[in-house]
Amino acid sequence: MSIVDLEAKIPNNVGLRDNKRLMMALERWQPKFLDWWAKLGPTDFNQDQIYLRTAIGVGQGGWAHFDYVKMPDYRWGIFLADGPADRKIHFGDQLGENAWQEVPGEFRNRLRRLIVTQGDTEPASVEQQRQLGHCCPSLYDLRSLFQVNVEEGRHLWAMVYLLQTHFGADGREEAEAMLERHSGDADNPRILQAFNYPVNNWLDFFCFTAFMDRDGKYQLASLAESSFDPLARTTQFMLAEEAYHLQTGENGVGRIVKRTGELMAEGKDPRTVGAIPLDVVQRFVNFWFTGSMDLFGGEDSTNAAESFANGLKGRYRESDGIYKDPKALSATYTLEVPTEDGKVVTRDIPLRRAMNAVLLDAYIADCKRIVERWNRDLEKLGVQQRIELPDHKFNRHQGVYAGFRFTPQGKPIDEASWTHQHTEWLPTQADRDYVQSCMKRVIEPGKFANYIAPPQQGVNNQPIEFEYVKFH
Amino acid sequence: MTNRLCYVCEGGDCTEKGSGDVFDKLRDLIREFDPGEERIKIRRYPCFGACDQGINVTLYPDKVFYSKVTEADLPAIAAHIQGKGAPVTRLTGKCPPDVEQIIWDMLDSPY
Repeated sequence: MSIVDLEAKIPNNVGLRDNKRLMMALERWQPKFLDWWAKLGPTDFNQDQIYLRTAIGVGQGGWAHFDYVKMPDYRWGIFLADGPADRKIHFGDQLGENAWQEVPGEFRNRLRRLIVTQGDTEPASVEQQRQLGHCCPSLYDLRSLFQVNVEEGRHLWAMVYLLQTHFGADGREEAEAMLERHSGDADNPRILQAFNYPVNNWLDFFCFTAFMDRDGKYQLASLAESSFDPLARTTQFMLAEEAYHLQTGENGVGRIVKRTGELMAEGKDPRTVGAIPLDVVQRFVNFWFTGSMDLFGGEDSTNAAESFANGLKGRYRESDGIYKDPKALSATYTLEVPTEDGKVVTRDIPLRRAMNAVLLDAYIADCKRIVERWNRDLEKLGVQQRIELPDHKFNRHQGVYAGFRFTPQGKPIDEASWTHQHTEWLPTQADRDYVQSCMKRVIEPGKFANYIAPPQQGVNNQPIEFEYVKFH
Repeated sequence: MTNRLCYVCEGGDCTEKGSGDVFDKLRDLIREFDPGEERIKIRRYPCFGACDQGINVTLYPDKVFYSKVTEADLPAIAAHIQGKGAPVTRLTGKCPPDVEQIIWDMLDSPY
């Protein structure tokens, strides 16, 4: 078990006290991070006391401490999951060799790009959500937002640690650049386009955490298999925190669906009581789910093949041994491919080139599970309408389906049909205006806005009516 | 290294019901007869989606889906895993079949 230094200026379990050069580099970066948080985090709430979880260790039980904290005082630290000293590479061309403790020169650029792309999303989401607190549906949800925000900030620390430790001057420059790019900045935007949209209402936020953060989970999970051991151990611990973010989104959308279902079961029109109709929820689900699929990259990708072959990114739960061939050399993947004459044909491609598609398939199965969970609440309420996950070909802007039009059921259509019908499938400005009109601020402990059901339970065994945020 | 897996759900609902302790205790019971993970690997799983029936524990490729698991059930589950006991049928069949199938679909990788 590694030793956790909680007294250090930067809490860590990476022996920072014994690495003065790295400690100085990180301590130079720390005030810049705090300055970024003060300017682009949820700044209007920086003086409030939030009941937050803070990571204090990496053990499987009791790794977190709950208490009231002002967000700028949150102890952002560097934690790597413990792992065996003699870890072996368990997939790709170097199967069975020792995992790397240092970056191999030949993979330096590719690894740096992977880490920077992942790291850039962490502060991006904080920036996207910085105004949301003003229209929170409850104190419970306000706390959840801030928990997600501070932990995304810690995930930035995790990636900056890797860059500063293993990538020299280049890494230090990249660490600076991650605080200089800003979500939605016309001149210096975030790397991935989906992280440049503002998230100004709570339906967007819950869809974001349900779908976009779930994409993050799968990207992190593939990096957690990496042959570069510090990256694998860093992302393993990030996944422990990320689980709460996904739960926030999954439960959040589910609570909105449930509340709408309750009102429908009572014979009420959700629009007349400030709730969100299921067809509007469906369009938001369509938008965020399809946007998140674009983050997986091309379904047929030589880059993905090389990352797998080199041992940089594995498949989801690769180390569990659920795959037949850890080298992925013998199998092919059957990919649906659109044609110019409006048809869809199948094409077999080498499995290694389909690694993004394999990861996406695991993600889609996970999303199918959460939508079915939401629908079970509707079924219990006797509501006939259901939320449906759109087909993976619908509304895609990356990969083999980009540039082609499909219905949410996956049927190819022409451009004219898309133009005529897409407002039935994706959020309109009227939808966004209506959802925004529902965003009433509720801050009385235990009370909830009328568009969302209370959660099943509170946080850390506290009651739902607990004062999760104390305003100054 | 075995490919047999025991997953303990660590989704939000199962965690609230104590799946962390269930994982620790089941792992300790398994280690008594299989300290080197030669017969089965025990791992946490983010969520199976059968939250109402938690705590959920699955065995793969056995495709056994145990629900409403409590610490009192763990010796019987461990005995089943060890091959010294039958499947604990009082804990099976509680999860909707379509929900069960999703996890098997995820684990039944054709690759």
